[in-house]
Amino acid sequence: MDNTHRLIQTSYKLKDSVRYRRAKNFFYDLLENPKARIRPYFDVFMILLVVSSVWVLIYDVRHDMGLFDDLFEWVAVTIFIIEYLLRFWIYNDSHEVILSHYERAEFINQPFRAWPALREVVAKKWEYMTQPLAIIDLLAIIPTYRPLRFLRIFLLFRLFKLFRYTRSISEFVKVLNEKRIELFTLFIFMAFITFTAATALFFFETDVADGKGVGSFFESIYWALVTMSTVGYGDITPHTTEGRVVTIILIIAGLGVISFFTSIIVSAFGEKMHEIRAQRVFSEVERKHIDLIVCGYGRVGQVVADQLALDQRQFVLLDPLESNVRLAKQKGYLAVQGDAADSALLESLGIATQAKRLLCLTGDDVVNVYITLSARQMNSQIEIISRANHRENVTKLRLAGADHTVAPYEIVGLIAAEYVGQPVAFEAIYGMLTGQNDVGIEAVRVRSGSVLDGRCMADVGFRQRKLIPFGVVREGGCPVGGSSGTYEIEGRCFHFNPTSDFQLQAGDLVVMFGHEYSVVHFRDCLERGTL
Amino acid sequence: MERSDTLIFGCGPMGQEVAEQLIGRKLPVYMYSSDLDRVAEVLAKGFDAAVLDYTDDDKLRQAGIGEWVKVIFCLFPEEAKNVFLTLSARALDSDLKIICVSESPQSGQKLFAAGASKVIDPYEISGRKVHELIARPMIVDMLEHTVFGKHLDIAEIEIPLDSCLSGNPLSALDLGRRYNVVLMGVVDVEMSDSLIFSTSGVDHKLDAGDMLVVIGPTVEITRLKGDLEEDRTDQLLGG
Repeated sequence: MDNTHRLIQTSYKLKDSVRYRRAKNFFYDLLENPKARIRPYFDVFMILLVVSSVWVLIYDVRHDMGLFDDLFEWVAVTIFIIEYLLRFWIYNDSHEVILSHYERAEFINQPFRAWPALREVVAKKWEYMTQPLAIIDLLAIIPTYRPLRFLRIFLLFRLFKLFRYTRSISEFVKVLNEKRIELFTLFIFMAFITFTAATALFFFETDVADGKGVGSFFESIYWALVTMSTVGYGDITPHTTEGRVVTIILIIAGLGVISFFTSIIVSAFGEKMHEIRAQRVFSEVERKHIDLIVCGYGRVGQVVADQLALDQRQFVLLDPLESNVRLAKQKGYLAVQGDAADSALLESLGIATQAKRLLCLTGDDVVNVYITLSARQMNSQIEIISRANHRENVTKLRLAGADHTVAPYEIVGLIAAEYVGQPVAFEAIYGMLTGQNDVGIEAVRVRSGSVLDGRCMADVGFRQRKLIPFGVVREGGCPVGGSSGTYEIEGRCFHFNPTSDFQLQAGDLVVMFGHEYSVVHFRDCLERGTL
Repeated sequence: MERSDTLIFGCGPMGQEVAEQLIGRKLPVYMYSSDLDRVAEVLAKGFDAAVLDYTDDDKLRQAGIGEWVKVIFCLFPEEAKNVFLTLSARALDSDLKIICVSESPQSGQKLFAAGASKVIDPYEISGRKVHELIARPMIVDMLEHTVFGKHLDIAEIEIPLDSCLSGNPLSALDLGRRYNVVLMGVVDVEMSDSLIFSTSGVDHKLDAGDMLVVIGPTVEITRLKGDLEEDRTDQLLGG
């Protein structure tokens, strides 16, 4: 009873202890957490240790290294043992298991019994010990124990430890694992053929004269495998006609087995390849903190991507069509092939964590609405810009949570109407407004304490700098009953064509037309504080 | 049949959108398509429309091309149809304004070669707009609400014959103070289509026929137009 009590007390103490948790987290980061910064360093260190310990083993076969060998072995094994024990420790929280048992017992008013809880603790740890990688770890340590020196060959298992530290090897294993049914079928078939052929050969070739016959059943199994795999050493060869017939059949069957095996592996990698590639993109997105996701690499997506690349902005593209993804990759953009409606995919691209903007630019409004809606649910802060192919869908996109919508057909309608009405003005100004000309619209922010702060419009000297002031955007609402040239824009006030005595203040955004050189010069003057 | 000098070929979503915008600006349009179902659809929505075989030049002439029609829109979803229609229409009337939509830069070149006066690439423009939304959201917001919204208008105002403005340099105009408008510049239609920016180094001497390009509220633009027509020197040049 007293012991039980002490067990629970210790468990609570561990759960409460900040230092214990911090230590455990640190080792979790070091050993397991794939996202931790420190993990790659540890992995590289362990790879070097494994490789050098195996090298020492090989070198030791022919050379005597004396004390160094033993010392090195001792250090390596100590590290391996510590690693094994740490992994054993961080696999799960034993005190949590005990406490959950205890709290359950408290809840239903039953006396707490230590044994079932402890049994579960042991079961959990046993679960860890029976994992393939944990077994490999153990096998890498055991042969060092002197009385078991004959197991030295198992030191090669240390090489298998490399699985832990390199991602590509573990991906290879994963691929094979996915095809285990096919491989198992193949193995059964192969075992059957080997056994049949070996039996037949043993039967026909044992009593051949001159002692050239097959000596044992093991030899004939060895022969069957060598023949079937098309390796054909030729150290054992059939001499009777019956034996040769068996060989012919075995060779033909062997070709089938080999090609079947190859095709399984190739197709497995083929299927897995784009997943592996996508995985690469995901990790790059995370590493580079890419916060802009573009769904759809159609015509609009292409224009946007080119423009963004010109700005040297980082973004990741998502498109279901392979041809589009290939095109994007040719241009050097980061792209994933996949359906943006798949929320798991969006999640892998960090929509809920690091993404700040999402562009839905597919040609299908239904898809755009769906993406917008699911993205908005995953992240309420993200800015969503969506393409609306039909005008009636603009409101739906807004309802789904889009911050901005862009409607290609509507734009055409607008341009067409303006063009018919007043072609000259429109042609002249449109390029300017959309940033297609050298002369364009620009905005300059008035910073507090800058030369613009508190200055009247007339004193800024726009005209000398070949700039045309268009208006000033000021935070806060418009003054009630203000002059006619003020317009409310989403909580800000736009003063169109401000009068010459209009006084600028910090936070204002001065919008002006001008050649890009003029604007650059103007900004430069502001920086230097000379107007 | 009422003679409308603007025709729209293609009754798809884009055609409907353009028709709606034009009708909204009190410009009557007539829609044509070779597809009976499409025509029925837009007729049901209240547009004027008819079936027309655009490959037949006589039919095109009957529709008014080469006669009274001034502007046509080629808004078929298929690129080849647009090119064909542009070519036929250009052959019938060399002064006709032909406005096309294109899906890609390459097809835009083809349409220009076929004789289109203006090619609109909706995807290019949309893409640029999305980019602007990312790069400079404040400006886009501002333009959206003012120039492309309902508050401000872009207008071209022709300088009438014998106007008091003739002979004055562009820089002498101080319209911004006298009217609540921003003078962007002037287009000398006889010389070229490009805008002479009002603060560019070139000090253009205004003369009759030049187009002033201004942005401002509708009332102010109407006032400016009125004063120009009445040639009120005191208002325009401040005495």
